Amino acid sequence: MRCTKSLWLAAISAALFALLAPAHLLATKHPRYGGTLRVELHVAAVSLDPREWKTGSVAAAENEKLAALVYDRLVTLDDFGRFQPALATEWSHDAAFKNWQFKLRSGAKFSDGSALTSKDVATALQPLLPSGLQISPTENGVQIRAMRTTPDLLEQLASGRYFIFRAQSDGTLLGTGPFFIAESTPPTPSEANPSALKPAHLKFIANEDAWAGRPFVDVIDVTLGEPALRQILNLQVGRTDIIDIPPDLVRKARQENLRVWSSPPDTLLALRFDDAQPGVSDPRLREALDFALDRETMANVLLQRQAFPAPALLPQWLSGYAFLFGTPMNLDRARELRSALPANLAGGIEPLRLRVDAIGDLMKLLGERVAVNARQANISVQLVSHASPSPGSATAASPATGLHLFAWHYDSLSPRAELQALAHHLHTEAGAETVAESGDPEKLYAEERRLLDERQVLPLVLLPEYAGIAPNVRNWTAAPSGEWRLADVWLETGEPASSNAEATSGRNAALGVHP
Amino acid sequence: MLSSLQNAVRPKRDCPLLCKFFLLIWFCIAFSALPAHPEPTENASLDDAVRELAERVASIPNLHGPVRIQFFQDANFASDTGKNWQDTFRQEIEKHRLAISEEPGASLLRVGLSETPTQLVLAASARVGEKDEVRLVTLPRSTFRAANLPVAPIRVERQLVYQSSERILDASSPWNGTEEGMALLAYRNAELSAIRLDAAGQVTQTVSLTAAGARASRDPRGELIVHGNDAVVLLAGKSCQFSWTAAAEAKCHSAKPTWRSSTVLTPSCDAGGWKLLADGSDWTTPDVLQVVPDGSLREGSAALLSDFPGPILGINGEQNPASALVVTRNLRTGNYEVYKITLACGN
Repeated sequence: MRCTKSLWLAAISAALFALLAPAHLLATKHPRYGGTLRVELHVAAVSLDPREWKTGSVAAAENEKLAALVYDRLVTLDDFGRFQPALATEWSHDAAFKNWQFKLRSGAKFSDGSALTSKDVATALQPLLPSGLQISPTENGVQIRAMRTTPDLLEQLASGRYFIFRAQSDGTLLGTGPFFIAESTPPTPSEANPSALKPAHLKFIANEDAWAGRPFVDVIDVTLGEPALRQILNLQVGRTDIIDIPPDLVRKARQENLRVWSSPPDTLLALRFDDAQPGVSDPRLREALDFALDRETMANVLLQRQAFPAPALLPQWLSGYAFLFGTPMNLDRARELRSALPANLAGGIEPLRLRVDAIGDLMKLLGERVAVNARQANISVQLVSHASPSPGSATAASPATGLHLFAWHYDSLSPRAELQALAHHLHTEAGAETVAESGDPEKLYAEERRLLDERQVLPLVLLPEYAGIAPNVRNWTAAPSGEWRLADVWLETGEPASSNAEATSGRNAALGVHP
Repeated sequence: MLSSLQNAVRPKRDCPLLCKFFLLIWFCIAFSALPAHPEPTENASLDDAVRELAERVASIPNLHGPVRIQFFQDANFASDTGKNWQDTFRQEIEKHRLAISEEPGASLLRVGLSETPTQLVLAASARVGEKDEVRLVTLPRSTFRAANLPVAPIRVERQLVYQSSERILDASSPWNGTEEGMALLAYRNAELSAIRLDAAGQVTQTVSLTAAGARASRDPRGELIVHGNDAVVLLAGKSCQFSWTAAAEAKCHSAKPTWRSSTVLTPSCDAGGWKLLADGSDWTTPDVLQVVPDGSLREGSAALLSDFPGPILGINGEQNPASALVVTRNLRTGNYEVYKITLACGN
């Protein structure tokens, strides 16, 4: 009897396996078109006009993420180090890497159905290109002439703000990308509570005629300005599909068993010396502070291992040599250097004032940690929050600051271009020129070494970007730079697939992007 | 000076065990590849770079041994290259008469191999006097080739027969049972095309289906069915027909495709047949080919598993009862690869 029962159980199990296992394999094999991908971001506003983006700013990174839905670049870089055709199908250069020719893809169209032309490309790129690069239309493409040798032009064009768009007379921008923007709703007062604001929304609709193929989802609905904790809650209860997570909440998200994705560390938090306070230019003071900084604790304790100590200006994944730089915390040496300084410097008469960009609690926490580290070396540092200046107000009267804690987002896939942009940001024009001329990695290393030795900037930590992703989001991938590839994402379950008619119905409503 | 499009390359090395037919193909491929594509292999490229770095380190002025070498390697890169490059570096350093020591007091020489978005970077740094001497050697990441794939488990014979950086949707075996070569459904420069290859992997004919109305799609589904000179292409929502002899007359029309059912292979020793299954639902992770006995009575029996280097995008066993072509995307190299799967008996 027992034997018969076991046989029955075995038979039923085998039958279930036979029915379910192959069914599962087949059912999940194919991607699904349709549906709305809901994205929540903490930023309150975005600009989809690449001409307005400030190089290295954290805001530009958010802008770029959404702009990639609407626009294409000339080339892309795949995950395997190969440049792939996008709006340019062929390219070539002369032996000196000064004259580049790009052949444009025929048949590529903007979201209003008009054809992409060489003139469009030249007009879009010229204001975005660094000085010294001149672009002009040719018969079937564009030509870029560089004053200096530019072997890394493809790295530059495949990243950052180098999107192709057409500015219309009404100020809207058209793109050739996988989506076009159909609605843009600014923050509005809530009906229930007029003192509160309903967050801004952006609605992107699939471009049926995208040259690389229609994206899988019909709509991407982006909500801006959602607080991080509410985003996590919304993801948990299935009210959203993708959120961005600040580093200090990643641990919580993981504890909640959320699916968390991280990019390569793409944001540098660093200190910059401003010469507004006396004595700050003294190299001994800079060196003392550098030796006092405990980057390991900042990354591993303060940021709960969601950040990395920054030994250099460029991250390892971009330069390949950052591991050669150390993060030399040496408190004894710091105190020794400090004791050799005049007593009235940095804590003697007035503290060294540290300005912190008001981009969140994280920066303030980090600033406080810098002050603690500095105090250990007998350097007095006082935090000064950076508020937006209002006309004729306190800004003019606010005390001069000698230190600035800032965030720098790596925009370019070219380490040379990135170091050059950072040098410009630090106002070391001479350094920027040197960087511009060096295509040799050893020269690039030497230039970075020089910038670090000058200690006008002290790198602290590197932050990756984190995103929470709902379980039904499939084929989530990101570009080497961390840019999300939402056109390739599909939704396994969720709301019923909206018809393509919905996607096309919005087309006539708004085809362009209002910057 | 620079080629913007990378054409298909033939496999470097893959040794079939069973079939003389494929041995012949392999030799043809190997010999035809040598003069046409003098691309360095992964090991040759990396080895060359390691040697160059060692030579440059050894020639650093006033750097005297013994040196204590400390290696650094990206974690995600370690599994691909192993530590062979480190051994090579040590040997090369010693060849240049620079002694190596494990003593803590010896001069520290830090050497790293890293991967950036476009390059492999070999870096070395040594302290000489008061100065850090740094030497860097880079090579394009695209020259990197993953090491030979692990041999498939016994009884499932797997042979890499074609690889290309261009997107392949489907592959079809020789159409008349005797003709050598292969037909591919692939994207060439974002144009969907049917491509005929000869036994050496050379393209003999390309039929663009874009003109017939088959637009680019992100959907990985696509099937190429070849019957003699006629071919049918099934896409999501579309079907195309053409003849290889009158390719310009290719026609596409809207149609709900009936995708091919599971591929069943029948090895000579088992008339019952074995079904080839793959998940294929996640294109970001490597897939496992499951070879399970076909037939309801045999379902649930032990399955053979074969790891693939990426998601399995297509399985086509229509042309030959003993073998199938499997299309995958190698997640290490980014290449689309076509494997011949044959079931071996008695192993």
